[in-house]
Amino acid sequence: MTVTTQDQRRGVLDVAAIVAIAAAVLVAFATPPEATQGNVARLFNIHVPSILVAYLCFGLTLIGGTAYLVTRRLRFDHLAVAAAEVGVVFTGLTMLVGMIWAKPIWGVYWTWSARLILTAVMFFGYLGYLALRRAIDDPIARARRAAVFGIISIGIIPIVHFSVLWWRDVHQPPTLLRPDEMQIDGPLLAAFLAGLVASTLVAAALIVRRYRLAAREAELDSLLASADVPVAGDAVTAPTLDGAP
Amino acid sequence: MTIPSRQPLPLADAVQPGLRRQMMAVARRDLRRELRRGEVAWVTIPFGAVAVLAIPLAIGIDVPTLNRVGPGLYWVVVLLFGVLVTVRHTATEQGVAAVSARLGIDPAAAYLGAATASAVLLVVFEVAVGMIAVALYDIDPERWPWLLLVVPAVAVGLALLGTMAGSVAAGATATNLVPFLVVPLALPLLIGATAAFDAGLTQPGGILRWVLMLLLVDVAALVLGVLTARQLQETG
Repeated sequence: MTVTTQDQRRGVLDVAAIVAIAAAVLVAFATPPEATQGNVARLFNIHVPSILVAYLCFGLTLIGGTAYLVTRRLRFDHLAVAAAEVGVVFTGLTMLVGMIWAKPIWGVYWTWSARLILTAVMFFGYLGYLALRRAIDDPIARARRAAVFGIISIGIIPIVHFSVLWWRDVHQPPTLLRPDEMQIDGPLLAAFLAGLVASTLVAAALIVRRYRLAAREAELDSLLASADVPVAGDAVTAPTLDGAP
Repeated sequence: MTIPSRQPLPLADAVQPGLRRQMMAVARRDLRRELRRGEVAWVTIPFGAVAVLAIPLAIGIDVPTLNRVGPGLYWVVVLLFGVLVTVRHTATEQGVAAVSARLGIDPAAAYLGAATASAVLLVVFEVAVGMIAVALYDIDPERWPWLLLVVPAVAVGLALLGTMAGSVAAGATATNLVPFLVVPLALPLLIGATAAFDAGLTQPGGILRWVLMLLLVDVAALVLGVLTARQLQETG
């Protein structure tokens, strides 16, 4: 088996992601506990980067879909599906970590906050995107229809992000992405940034691998469509009379 | 004579009406089809009425509680069951789209016409189920004139999103995919409608921003639907 340059690059990305995770864990535990929430607040170093990376992934789905509709090159569709799948994983991770954090702080795993509801809606919206892809067999129709749905679905992201400003409830307003100054101390910001870098690298590594898988699937589909494969009718022979030549 | 499958018929070029006339023709076709089949009148509206009737059995039949939560429940029923109005002919959508393309109908006109018909039917659905909800939940319709803005705005938004999702999912193997695609996208309509109704009851001036939000969703769905209509009409 030969190792190509692309394989080597993927390997470098994988290693970088693993190193970044290790570094993020070290930095997270090297910083002092947060003043009011204590050690539980360290979960924010996974929770917030995960949702930001999910936004980024869904943005890539939008870009991939739009580029496919303009160029009709399937590689952009591969990018769109790879990013959407990884985005769904990171959205799920955001909700899971958020619920683990919420139990000791709010006393419940789930509360009816606008941000939580809309994040769940975004999760199900992009699950719908993936379900749509699975329900269409023809790769060209699938790419085109998924591209359109990916473009429409992006509208939910600003609503999710600004929900904490529009509906003031138990969920805290943005700490970093806010119009005025960031409200976070230096060491906590360092831990957060380490988490953000690690999450981004993990997402990038996953997207690259899923993109390659999508390309391989397309190649396989193409080969199967063009191959001279036997069909069920081949096993049937015309009946002949006994003794006939 | 062979006619290329994705080209309009030669005759269609000769008698091509404008976008508005095409749109109205498509809307009339869909409404006539509904008049013949009566799917919304005899299936979807009674189904919505059953939902309005069944919910109190689950949450309790305390009239003050129903009076308080009734408007919200009504809009949830409109969202979930209204989707069924917009996707009533999804199963044949691909075939209809192919015929429309052969006749030279502009994809944007086909989209707008189908959405117009759905919006009309949705207004009928909202009014019918709304009257049942007012009667059963003892909702006070004191400031009902606000609903003259909210009801059509929700109907138009849901119709545009449902028609677009119907086109997106045309030919999909999962038959019940469309409601799953539409409902998350249509949640801003639910939020806007319930908030507008609450604002109409408590602080009438506050209703305007929620109506504007509904109109914003409508305009966004309209623009996206028109821009992507041609892409979705292509076959293969």
